[in-house]
Amino acid sequence: MARTVLTWWIPLLILQSFLLAIAFGSNEVEEEFSESLLLKPLPDRKVLAHFHFENRAPPSNSHGRHHHLFPKAISQLVQKFRVKEMELSFTQGRWNHEHWGGFDSLSSMNAKPVGVELWAVFDVPHSQVDTSWKNLTHALSGLFCASINFLESSTSYAAPTWGFGRSADKLRYGSLPREAVCTENLTPWLKLLPCRDKDGISALMNRPSVYRGFYHSQRLHLSMVDSGEEGLGSGMLLEQSLTVVLQPDTVYDGKDLQPSWSLSSLFGRKVVGKCVLAKSSNVYLQMEGLAHQALWKNEEFELSTQPDRILRENSSFLYIFNIDKSSDSEPFDLGLTWKLPSKWSCQQAPLHASRFLMGSGNERGAIAILLKATESQDKLSGRDLTNGGRCTIRANVFQIFPWYVKVYYHTLQIFVDQQQNTSGEVLKKINVSPSTDKMSSGMMEMMLELPCEVKSAAISIEYDKGFLHIDEYPPDANQGFDIPSALISFPDHHASLDFKEELSTLPLLSKFKDKSLVRSYTEVLLVPLTTPDFSMPYNVITITCTVFALYFGSLLNALRRRIGEEERFLKSKGKKTGGLKQLLSRFTAKIRGRPAESPSSESTAAAQSSVLSSKLLFKIILVAGVAATWQYFSTDK
Amino acid sequence: MEETSDHPNPTTSTPGTTPEPDPKTTRSSKPGLKRLLITTTVLFSFLSGLPFLWKSVEIYRSQLPFHDIDSLSDQIKSTPLRFPCTFHAVFIGFGSNDPDQLRSEIQDGVNQLTGENSQCGSCNVSISVTVQSPDELCSGTFPSTCSYRCGVIKKDSFGRGLDDEVDESLDDVFGGCSGGIGKMYSVVVVNREKGSDGGDEVRAVVGKRRHAWIVGSGLEERFGDVVGRVSEVFVKVFMNGGREDDSIQGEFMPVGSDGRLVLSFSLLNSNPRDWIYDWDFQRIDEALLAPVTKALAPIADISVESQVLYHTPKSSFSSWDEKLQSYIFRTSDLPFFVNSNEWHLDTSAGASGRSKILQFVVYIPSGKECPLHLQLPNGEISKTNGFISPMWGGVIVWNPRNCDKDSESPSRNTISPQDLEKIVEVFLGQFRQLFGFKSEATYTSGFGSYKILPSERGFTEWELDVLSRKHTCFNLHSCATTLGSLSRLVQSLPRMIIKDEIGEQVKYSLKAAKLAQSNASLGGYSSSASSSREARSLAENAFFHPSIMSVSYFSYEHCFAVYSPFFLPVAGHVVLAALREWKRYKQEKAKYLTWLTRKKTA
Repeated sequence: MARTVLTWWIPLLILQSFLLAIAFGSNEVEEEFSESLLLKPLPDRKVLAHFHFENRAPPSNSHGRHHHLFPKAISQLVQKFRVKEMELSFTQGRWNHEHWGGFDSLSSMNAKPVGVELWAVFDVPHSQVDTSWKNLTHALSGLFCASINFLESSTSYAAPTWGFGRSADKLRYGSLPREAVCTENLTPWLKLLPCRDKDGISALMNRPSVYRGFYHSQRLHLSMVDSGEEGLGSGMLLEQSLTVVLQPDTVYDGKDLQPSWSLSSLFGRKVVGKCVLAKSSNVYLQMEGLAHQALWKNEEFELSTQPDRILRENSSFLYIFNIDKSSDSEPFDLGLTWKLPSKWSCQQAPLHASRFLMGSGNERGAIAILLKATESQDKLSGRDLTNGGRCTIRANVFQIFPWYVKVYYHTLQIFVDQQQNTSGEVLKKINVSPSTDKMSSGMMEMMLELPCEVKSAAISIEYDKGFLHIDEYPPDANQGFDIPSALISFPDHHASLDFKEELSTLPLLSKFKDKSLVRSYTEVLLVPLTTPDFSMPYNVITITCTVFALYFGSLLNALRRRIGEEERFLKSKGKKTGGLKQLLSRFTAKIRGRPAESPSSESTAAAQSSVLSSKLLFKIILVAGVAATWQYFSTDK
Repeated sequence: MEETSDHPNPTTSTPGTTPEPDPKTTRSSKPGLKRLLITTTVLFSFLSGLPFLWKSVEIYRSQLPFHDIDSLSDQIKSTPLRFPCTFHAVFIGFGSNDPDQLRSEIQDGVNQLTGENSQCGSCNVSISVTVQSPDELCSGTFPSTCSYRCGVIKKDSFGRGLDDEVDESLDDVFGGCSGGIGKMYSVVVVNREKGSDGGDEVRAVVGKRRHAWIVGSGLEERFGDVVGRVSEVFVKVFMNGGREDDSIQGEFMPVGSDGRLVLSFSLLNSNPRDWIYDWDFQRIDEALLAPVTKALAPIADISVESQVLYHTPKSSFSSWDEKLQSYIFRTSDLPFFVNSNEWHLDTSAGASGRSKILQFVVYIPSGKECPLHLQLPNGEISKTNGFISPMWGGVIVWNPRNCDKDSESPSRNTISPQDLEKIVEVFLGQFRQLFGFKSEATYTSGFGSYKILPSERGFTEWELDVLSRKHTCFNLHSCATTLGSLSRLVQSLPRMIIKDEIGEQVKYSLKAAKLAQSNASLGGYSSSASSSREARSLAENAFFHPSIMSVSYFSYEHCFAVYSPFFLPVAGHVVLAALREWKRYKQEKAKYLTWLTRKKTA
């Protein structure tokens, strides 16, 4: 396969002149990469690990062509499809809003719906947005070894206007709830990192421990940063994050202690040094609801490593560890040992959303979204949410309906505290785009304004189940069809970690410091549709053909029948044979009530019949004998 | 079968006059035709409906011009494509030679070298010779459109200045010449006086454009040599591009079927913990690679991209050599150098469709295997420290200056421009090799060696001519084979749907191929190259059309399963009925005939 070059290069004399043009180094801003890991014990004895990688490319005209750290594949994708912003997430498991938090930056950004979710904003004329979207889905599908290309069909994506929480008119959103997420999606995702999982924090990603977790969400967010300069392309920011919720392996000691853990017990690996290409690589430990002073060794718990820095936030402490010093001989293995039982709760979103199906049968049903007040609401109502002297909570609901779920928008009902609300007080704004059969999916965006003291609010909407063409059923159609998660966002509520310190050098924390919209996804619904018997077409063909053939055959026979001849034939036969047939004809004649045609000679017929009957008797006896002997011999053996 | 007469009409047969006929053997009336007619019409209407049914289940197949495809591939196989080329030889300082005789001698030499089996993409040679005597008198044939003024070329100008200057001055002289149809190549032979500084040595140089010159003293005496050399320059260099027979053939032209080529440069830091090297490739691209891509524009649309990758060890081990004080990687292990698991070189998302991607890799060894050298089979160390893999690209091992790890933390370095320039030179050499040229600046043959002036654009003009000839030829060849396999495929699968688009693409591809052939014979290098490219890409488009991949599911079995529940029982009825009626009619007729005869005899 390979051939050696045994030769000299061509002495290109002219090249020498270019030498002067090429100066040493460059004073441009370079591509930057940083890695970080956030660990957080959760109230329900689990541990959350959030890996965050940030890759930044400065504004340049050579994007898509020359790169040093930034992944070339992503850059080329951006150049080719003119993506302005894009987010792709692969998730397995459901985020537990009650125990894992619903009102912090981490959950509002990383709690994603099950399966694949993709949204993208394009920088192309309106008419080309759909084409770009389709091409992008195919490219991503190849890049991440997933069936993202199913989002290509116009029945599977939508163009949200304001309900998504991001108002852009060239936005497309789609999700695939049934996509299974596994290592084959993680490996290409890791390939985008300069160190992959060979070095640094990402080396912790031991596949069995990562996929053993309760929740696993791998996210890729790409945004363009405008340079502001004329003639210079825009910069790119690629954020990759992996959020896992793990259960530390500990034996229950009966003391109600939170489980103690270390990095090596969680992941089965230790950090043996930073990724040398990373500008910063830190590990953070966030402890919520601490009663004691922020010491790393106190009577409640003890850390195995001394933190480099401790930050205080409203309700939590953040321990920062720098892993620069760790090496093969001295690996970084952060451990947390609890000494006293400890209990705390996470901050909750103002309303807890859940969604379910109502009705029965294969014909129609209803979808209901239930918003329940959480404990944290009492605290929040004190906040400045007043609207005309009245305290309100605003909630946006964004929902996509597949076309085979034919929603009747006039049946939309809103219940506040179990009272049906018909006035426009609650429903402030609604935007509906109905689905077209086999053409596009339906979309509903709603803005609700609920009083702060609300206990529960429910939205219900009825639908008919559509019929699919036999070709449109997926394999295993009896499993049912998924309705993608609804997104509930609270436009007046923003989550952020409130640090006093300047944190621009720590990308993850500066990101958490920015306000992010509080949002939560509901469950995926499974709608059973009537599934046909897939062999039916053949059965129909066979039955109709048989009926037609019978009809045709009998018609043809009737056409060529000679009735007179047959009667004569029967008559002549009747002269010859008597016996049983005659008896039969006589019997039928009696039933019909007509006199039978008397045979010419009764006596001979009677004699014949007696002979025949004796013959018949003999035959029956013979058969019975044979049967008996057969039975005898077969049972004997 | 017991039969009785159909209509035993007693009125037709006169009772009493004839004895009562036996109904089993005779009948007195003519047998009726009514039922026979009905059954036969039904049968015939069924039979006449069959073609319509057949038509309705037929699969749509666009008519492909199978005959044209076959004739195209036959033609390309039997008569290799040839371009017209004009060779012009100027002999300076030759007193007593007849130009016509020289011409015929050179022609003989050329014919001998081209041989019987002329390759595809070679030249249709026409030769002209000018002889300039020492007292600047000219005689001979001139190329049609060229006005070579006698005495413009002075023999003193050769050998004094640099070769580049000579090349430039020759271009000024022959600048106005375009050899009628095709390209004109010229060789200037200068005979110096004996005893001048050059000595007895004969010097032959091939320039950057389409000129070569041979300078020596006493050439008139060694006349056969000179003619041999001139014809060798024409055939071996200008016509075949200095390739050797075992070098890469035209079938391996690294250009995608859509005429695009992506050069993907990757810098691999095998272990960034030891040291990290970066490069400023953008400037290299602008300064050094842009002229090359521009020069090759008629042959391929080339784009360049680069990336730096980390943690990319090679997949085989090297051994320490005490004598050379370096790690040695043997040529025999080269197939195991490229590590496709860890080197995620990534096919470019920017390259659409069927573009060709050539990977050029600079491998920086880790601290454990530094310095790393490639060892040739003869035990020597490779000077370029690189290798190529045809149709894939090339690899260069670049060792850092200092192999000692100086500190704990890895050092971040940028490859110095001088080193980078050397790397690019090796790249260009590899690139030339991938296109089938030699990477050396000399060409050696039986008569001696020729110096080849390298162009700053990587390829000289006469090399580009060779490339575009070969490229046209390769494209046509590939077009013919693709269309040939398409027609074989289509003929072998009778139940395959063939859309009109495919038929049209095949038609246009054939048209473009014809155009390329005619352009080539007229000497239009660029037009024939572009239409041959079009022919190839259309042929590939037709072959890889998405609809051709899905063989129709409407198979014969399917057809049978759908239609048999109706047609089998019905056909049984109809055929049986028709047969019975026919049989019965024959029988009855026979009975009637016997009755007639009996009646006659009676």
